[in-house]
Amino acid sequence: MNDPIIQTNELTKYYNKGKANEVLAVSGVSIGIRRGDFAVLKGPSGSGKTTMLSLLGCMTRPTSGSITLEGRDISHLPERFLTDIRRTTYGFIFQQFHLIQGMSVLQNVMLPLYPTDVDLPKLKKKAEGLLEGIGMMKRRDFPVQGLSGGEQQRTAIARALINSPEIVLADEPTAHLDTALSRNFMAIMKDLWEKGKTVIIASHDPIVFENEYAALVVEMRDGAVRNVTRK
Amino acid sequence: MSLNSHMNVLDFTLLSLLRRKFKNLGIVLVFTFIVFITGSILFLSYSFKREALLILKGSPELIVQRMSAGRQELIPVGRAKEISAIPGVSGVEPRYWGYYYDPLVKANYTILASSGSLSAGNRLLQGRLPAPEEKGVAAVGRGVAKARFIDMGSTISLVSAAGDAMDFDVVGIFESESELLTADLIVLGRPDVIRLFRMPPDMATDLAVTVRNETEAPVIAGKIRSRFPDTRPILRKEIIRTYDAVFGWRSGLILTLFAGALVAFIILAWDKATGLSAEEKKEIGILKAIGWETSDIIEMKFWEGLVISLSSFLLGIILAYVHVYFFGASVFAPALKGWSVIYPDFRLAPFIDPYQIAMLMALTVIPYIASTIIPSWKAAITDPDEVVRG
Amino acid sequence: MRKSLVFGLFVLGCFLFLAALGATSHVRVSHFLAVSHDLGDITATLKLTDISFSDDARYTRNPSQADIFSAFQDYPGSIEHFPSGSVTPPPDFTSLGAAMKVRGQ
Repeated sequence: MNDPIIQTNELTKYYNKGKANEVLAVSGVSIGIRRGDFAVLKGPSGSGKTTMLSLLGCMTRPTSGSITLEGRDISHLPERFLTDIRRTTYGFIFQQFHLIQGMSVLQNVMLPLYPTDVDLPKLKKKAEGLLEGIGMMKRRDFPVQGLSGGEQQRTAIARALINSPEIVLADEPTAHLDTALSRNFMAIMKDLWEKGKTVIIASHDPIVFENEYAALVVEMRDGAVRNVTRK
Repeated sequence: MSLNSHMNVLDFTLLSLLRRKFKNLGIVLVFTFIVFITGSILFLSYSFKREALLILKGSPELIVQRMSAGRQELIPVGRAKEISAIPGVSGVEPRYWGYYYDPLVKANYTILASSGSLSAGNRLLQGRLPAPEEKGVAAVGRGVAKARFIDMGSTISLVSAAGDAMDFDVVGIFESESELLTADLIVLGRPDVIRLFRMPPDMATDLAVTVRNETEAPVIAGKIRSRFPDTRPILRKEIIRTYDAVFGWRSGLILTLFAGALVAFIILAWDKATGLSAEEKKEIGILKAIGWETSDIIEMKFWEGLVISLSSFLLGIILAYVHVYFFGASVFAPALKGWSVIYPDFRLAPFIDPYQIAMLMALTVIPYIASTIIPSWKAAITDPDEVVRG
Repeated sequence: MRKSLVFGLFVLGCFLFLAALGATSHVRVSHFLAVSHDLGDITATLKLTDISFSDDARYTRNPSQADIFSAFQDYPGSIEHFPSGSVTPPPDFTSLGAAMKVRGQ
């Protein structure tokens, strides 16, 4: 259980490399996240947490260094395999939720698995089960643009879980929520963690990183790791 | 990927298109309209050409007109004898015909001298044609009959070039199925035509020459031309070529009238091709981030283009067919008719050129799909983390 | 019913309809071919050279035949210059009174 599910080694990411607006977003980060960890990437905005999360979630490739997922180096895999990993291993909850406007809650939740061989009625049943679990069943056929921030986020959570991911990633999940809703979100995350999922959250909200089950807190600043605390 | 996953992507595409119902319906409408117009023109001109070809198969192989100062003149009947002496000529017959403007209904008629009777059992003439030397009788086309409210047995009155009224008993009316050929005809006996137009004696409008072997017609035409330098021989082949040009011109005119719509559509397609809206870009990013492959997104865009362009093409081509062959191209009628009073109420035979339809499909569906896919492809190959970072 | 199936049925329906149109086209063309024999008889007997497709102006009635063109054929304003003569009608002179009446009226 103690072998890392994700291990990064001297991970570095430049944006617009070689251009006038070159940015060094992440520099030389080496961390290990174990299976079943509840990890928090902590730091002010601009500290590189979101980029770190993108790299961990196979959304973008590192400029140098490597990422190992379950012992397999994924930093140089072709796009096709990265997509496959995103689809099978990760569930991603975005800061801006990123739901498809004009579609219903249910359709948004089903979205990730459309281009697979899945049977649509079965997929629908699974999506309804997830919505039931987070109390969104009554909003099932609502278009997402009419939902409140909290409801949109719960829809985004259900969408992240539709592929039964092993790892759940969340980027600044509480940035748009009030305290009550933030605690609510953390309760859902705790529940997932208790069910054995690996949870990685990037946040600078104390509600997220100052709780007893956040086993690993990685503090970042200016793209580099400042401090790693493991409880 | 299996069939089911393709159907899933198509399902999603349709769902996505339905979100912007009015925009997409608008595109389908404009697209359908373009296909409808282009298809109608193709159907119409192709059918006209094929019909004209079949109808004119029976016309004289060679017409000899006399020209004077660049204008057509009456031709002396005596020349027929000399022309029939040319080897290869099997017969020469003078034609007496001309136009008659009827100020009463503001229509042009074509007056024609009868030169024989139709073969027995011809279903396209009710009654009979006047005999070549018969006086005081006429056979008229359906268009003339309609314009003058004429029935079998009634009288039609024309004013001769000398100014006196001539009355003719109607002994024949052409059936409407022959309207494309006979709508404006008034067939009279030869003496009546000569009197009506006050043609000088021993002069005819032109000469119809029949030849033994049509491939020799150009040679014979050359001989006639060198024997009578003031004549202009017209070959049947040239006539048929003229029809190609005329329909080209008329359909070109219609196309010009609808060029505005065409340009609007091209602008629309160009607009789509040159850039995606920020919203579309964002959606592609989201789909990629949650696990759609680049190929899935391209497949979705392919479906999107196909759904719109194929639906429009099919609807447009069906409407064009119905329009041209069931409603006599009523939308184009004003442009086709010009301001003619007698216009054949034709029911065109639906000759269809599969090659033309395939071309139309290739020229509408494929570019549209390409203009949907290409810009999205560019968006689909970028890293999805641009979306994540907002 | 799933939407992809609806779309598939729509496309299938259109193709079937087109096939049906193709069938009627076949029937009507063969009917025309039967009639075209009689049409050819008329053409041959009357020695016609053109179809009566547009007789708005004299020169368009028999496009294959040379003609005596005239600028003012039936009205003073009926300028028969190709191609405008075949799309633009002559102006209305009725407002000018009896003096402008065309012969025969």
